[in-house]
Amino acid sequence: MQSLYGKFRLVTKQTINSLKNVELSKVASTESRYLGCSINRCSGFNSDRACASAAFLLNKEFGTKVVSPASSASCSIVSMVPSYKGLSFGNQSASASFNLPTRKFSTSGSTPENVSAASELPPRIKFKRLDKTARHIMQIIDKEAVEEVKSNREIPEIKPGYIIQLKVVVPENKRRVSVIKGIVIAMRNAGLNTTFRIRRLVGGVGIENLFPLYSPNIKEITVLDKKRVRRAKLYYLRDKMNPLRKH
Amino acid sequence: MAAASRGLVSRLRHLLSAAPPLRSLSFAQLRSFTAEPEFETTTSRIIDPKPGVMAPDSRRTGTIAVKCGMTALWDKWGARVPITILWMDDNIVSQVKLPESEGFCALQIGCGQKKEKHLRKPEVGHFRAQGVPMKRKLREFPVTEDALLPVGTTLDVRHFVPGQYVDVTGITKGKGFQGGMKRWGFKGMPASHGASLSHRSIGSTGQRDAPGKVFKGKKMPGHMGVEQRTVKNVWIYKIDPARNLLWVRGQVPGATGNFVFIKDAVYKKPDVTLLPFPTYFAPEDEDPSQLEPIVADHGDIDPFMAAD
Repeated sequence: MQSLYGKFRLVTKQTINSLKNVELSKVASTESRYLGCSINRCSGFNSDRACASAAFLLNKEFGTKVVSPASSASCSIVSMVPSYKGLSFGNQSASASFNLPTRKFSTSGSTPENVSAASELPPRIKFKRLDKTARHIMQIIDKEAVEEVKSNREIPEIKPGYIIQLKVVVPENKRRVSVIKGIVIAMRNAGLNTTFRIRRLVGGVGIENLFPLYSPNIKEITVLDKKRVRRAKLYYLRDKMNPLRKH
Repeated sequence: MAAASRGLVSRLRHLLSAAPPLRSLSFAQLRSFTAEPEFETTTSRIIDPKPGVMAPDSRRTGTIAVKCGMTALWDKWGARVPITILWMDDNIVSQVKLPESEGFCALQIGCGQKKEKHLRKPEVGHFRAQGVPMKRKLREFPVTEDALLPVGTTLDVRHFVPGQYVDVTGITKGKGFQGGMKRWGFKGMPASHGASLSHRSIGSTGQRDAPGKVFKGKKMPGHMGVEQRTVKNVWIYKIDPARNLLWVRGQVPGATGNFVFIKDAVYKKPDVTLLPFPTYFAPEDEDPSQLEPIVADHGDIDPFMAAD
């Protein structure tokens, strides 16, 4: 940022030198026209949004001075800085205006293309609270992990009230595959840690199992039936005697 | 006033007693207000950034990371691994401390970015003097002399190898004023059997008349947390060089978004032949976005089947 201001000062110096040849009165008369031109140019140049924002920043910062009719030479120069290139005003200031957008571009680094290219990283120089950045990183990583699991295995949509059949590998039990059939009574949506709760009857005793949806130990999920329910959590089934009577 | 004068007197006495050696130490100690380097010869050492061979007693530099949060993953065998994600944000060597100038070998590492307007003038002066960009966090890591790196060297996440053990230092979360049970793990007192108003109290704090006092350092209720703690032997599960992310197993001190400091483990020492030494030097022509994450090796023996 400091070097950006340094650039501004440099530009101002250069333009002061160049304007010694130009009549100051002429500059003051055409000043308002330049300002309008700069805004127009920015809209034409908005492929680089950062540059546009730089120009708007300039106009906002120095706007009060520019509007006043008895403005000094220096502030009129500043207002013209973004408009030089479009008007092909002076050759040495053209290089300066070329420097300006590139510098701004590298400082902010938050153009849409950049963000999409490195969507995992937050913008580099932005000064945000670190815990927010950290949480953002966690969200991205969580989303990526879910995508990866979904791309590898087909996971059907599960809702409370569905009667599903699972084939689960139990690593602790010599990797035996056990088949579990029951009704989904609860879902907890939490990204990669999404879990669902299955209730079934084994030997007349109600059993509830909690499974992570994206666990690699779940080899297959098949939806057998879809019951219509009016709750998100079917905990009332615990009180009913035999929720699986029909199956 | 009295304390100040006493300190003054002692300082004067110290000065008087130390005056003859002070004078003999030349004027080097008295030139505290000059910006010019004193001797050109002191800064003549050139540190070459090239891969070396790590000796068993060499110590590499540590790095600074941001704790991003925790999650859990499944490894190759279907076991769930609790994971903390650490983000090594733009680590760079910001100062080299040498035996001839400072008297010891150390590297000061900087992490993150900061704008100049957010820093104090002495800090800005430090970064300017070293010629490195402004950094958010600085930390000094003692290293051995063969592990020195030049100023400005970037430290990649590939400084660490997946599967190695590291020690992670951080500032723990503040817990406020806590009782003896939470703070020190006291057992408390019975819930019943006539216990009255003292279920979680600390009990006795000492003896009788013989010492007649409570010994210093007695564990008592008080402020807990916001202390520097080191978690030792943290296993690195995965690294992502493209984004400078580090997946480590288990917990590390501190809240989300806090800085933690990662060093090679002291107890479970990593294999010196596998570690990049002094650090990993990325080739010039690599594209950082094309790098694939590296996951630690889980071995070929199924831990679940091997248990039987």
